[in-house]
Amino acid sequence: MWEWWRKNRAVLLGLFLLLAALLWYSVSLRQQRETNLFEALVLRVTAPAQSVLTSAINGVADVWGNYINLVDTVEENRLLMEANNVLKSELNRLRENSLENVRLRRLLEFKETQSVQTLPARVIAEDATSWFRTVVIDKGSADGVLEGMPVVVAEGVVGRVIRNSQHESRVLLVTDAASAVASLVQESRARGICRGQGSVLIFDFVLRKEKLVVGEPVITSGMGGVFPKGLLIGHIKTIDRMEFGLFQTIEVTPSVDFSRLEEVLVLLRQVEL
Amino acid sequence: MSRIWIYIGVAGLGILLQSVLLPHILPHGFKPDLMLILVIYLGLHEQTWRGACLVYVFGWAFDVVAGSFPGLHGFVLLGIFLAVRAIVSRVNAESSVLLMGLVLLGSLLQSVLMIFALEFFIDEGLFWPMVLWPLPFQVLSNVLTAFLLLKLALWFQLTFLPRAHVPGLRKLDSHHGS
Repeated sequence: MWEWWRKNRAVLLGLFLLLAALLWYSVSLRQQRETNLFEALVLRVTAPAQSVLTSAINGVADVWGNYINLVDTVEENRLLMEANNVLKSELNRLRENSLENVRLRRLLEFKETQSVQTLPARVIAEDATSWFRTVVIDKGSADGVLEGMPVVVAEGVVGRVIRNSQHESRVLLVTDAASAVASLVQESRARGICRGQGSVLIFDFVLRKEKLVVGEPVITSGMGGVFPKGLLIGHIKTIDRMEFGLFQTIEVTPSVDFSRLEEVLVLLRQVEL
Repeated sequence: MSRIWIYIGVAGLGILLQSVLLPHILPHGFKPDLMLILVIYLGLHEQTWRGACLVYVFGWAFDVVAGSFPGLHGFVLLGIFLAVRAIVSRVNAESSVLLMGLVLLGSLLQSVLMIFALEFFIDEGLFWPMVLWPLPFQVLSNVLTAFLLLKLALWFQLTFLPRAHVPGLRKLDSHHGS
C-alpha cells in the first residue's frame, strides 16, 4: 500500500489539486456575487498602470502619425515640413477635440433624456483574452458605481458592472456569452432574451408566430431588473423561422461599435442584487 | 524568492500588455495568451508545488481582468501546468521545439478545459462557439509569440546578462553547444 502510494503520489496529489481548484471555482460561481478583497486589490493595482499605458499608447500613436513618418524627408524641405507637422499636429488635435466634442455632446444629449442620474466614464482597458468581452472603466465605488449598474452610450446598451474597486470597475459587455438582456422588438413588441455571442447577439425565446422584419430595432424590455426600458440594443440581422418548434432563431447586430468604445455613461440607481 | 517576484512582475506585465497594448495593435480582438506561455515555462522549469501555487494565484489574478467567472482561469491554468509537469520528466525539456509544441498543445488543452468548465458549471449562455471559433488564430498567435519571445529573451540574456542564470533559457537555444 505504502509502495503504491509512493509510486502514484505525484499523480494523485496533482489530481487532488485540480479537483480542489474545480470545486473552488464551482463554489465561487454559486456564492460570489460581490467583488472580494483580492479582486479589488488586483483591479486597484492594475488599473492605474492600464490608465497610464493607455495614455502613453495614444501619445505614441499621435507622435507616430504626425511626426516620425515624416522624419526622413529631404533636407531643404525640413523647415517647411516641421512647420507643416506642427500645423498638422495642431489640426489633428483640433479634429480629435472636435470629434470628442461631438461624442460627448451626443452623450450629454442622451444623458439629458435619461430620468436616472448618470456618470460619465472612460474605458481604460479591454478583456485580456479573446474569448470574453469585458472592459475596465475609470470610475468605481467612490464615484457611486455598484455591481449590477447598467452602462450605456448614445448608440445603445453597452453592458453592466460586474466588479468594482474604489476607482475602477469592470463592465460585462452585452456581446459576452455570459450576458443576457430581457428585450423586445420595438415595432411588434415581441419579447425575448438577447444573449451575447461575440460580435452579434442571439435573440432567444421569440415565439415562431411572431412576424418580424430584418432591420427592426430591438430594445430593452425593462423586465430583467438591470436595464431601464427602451434602450436600443441593436437591429435584427437574420431571422430563421425553421419548419417546426416553438421559437425562431434571430441574430441581432449590436447598435454599439464595441471596438471603438471610449466614453460611456453609468446609470446610477438602486440595484437589486 | 527573487525569482518568484520576477515571475509576478512578468505576469503583471503580461496582463497589462494583453488588456491595454495588444487590443490597440492587433485586429478583431485576437491576442496571444502570454499567461499561457508563462505557465508552460513554469511547468518546464519550476518545482511542482511552488509552481502550482504561483499558477493558481496568477489564474485568480487573471480572472480579475478576463471574463466574469472567478476561479475559471485558476482551474484552467493549473490543469495546463500539471499536464506539463506530468510529461516534462518523460521528454527532453531542454529543447525550443518542445516549448513550441507544448504551447500548441497547451492552447488546445486550454480550450478543452475552458469549454468543460464553462459548459458544465454555468447554466446560462452558449460558450463553446466563443472558444472554438477563434481557436486556430489563437493557437497560431500563441506559437508565433512563444517563438518571438524565446528569441527576444535569449538575445536579451546574451546581450545584457551573459552571466545570469535564467532557468532553461540558454539550453532552450538551439545553437547552444554547437
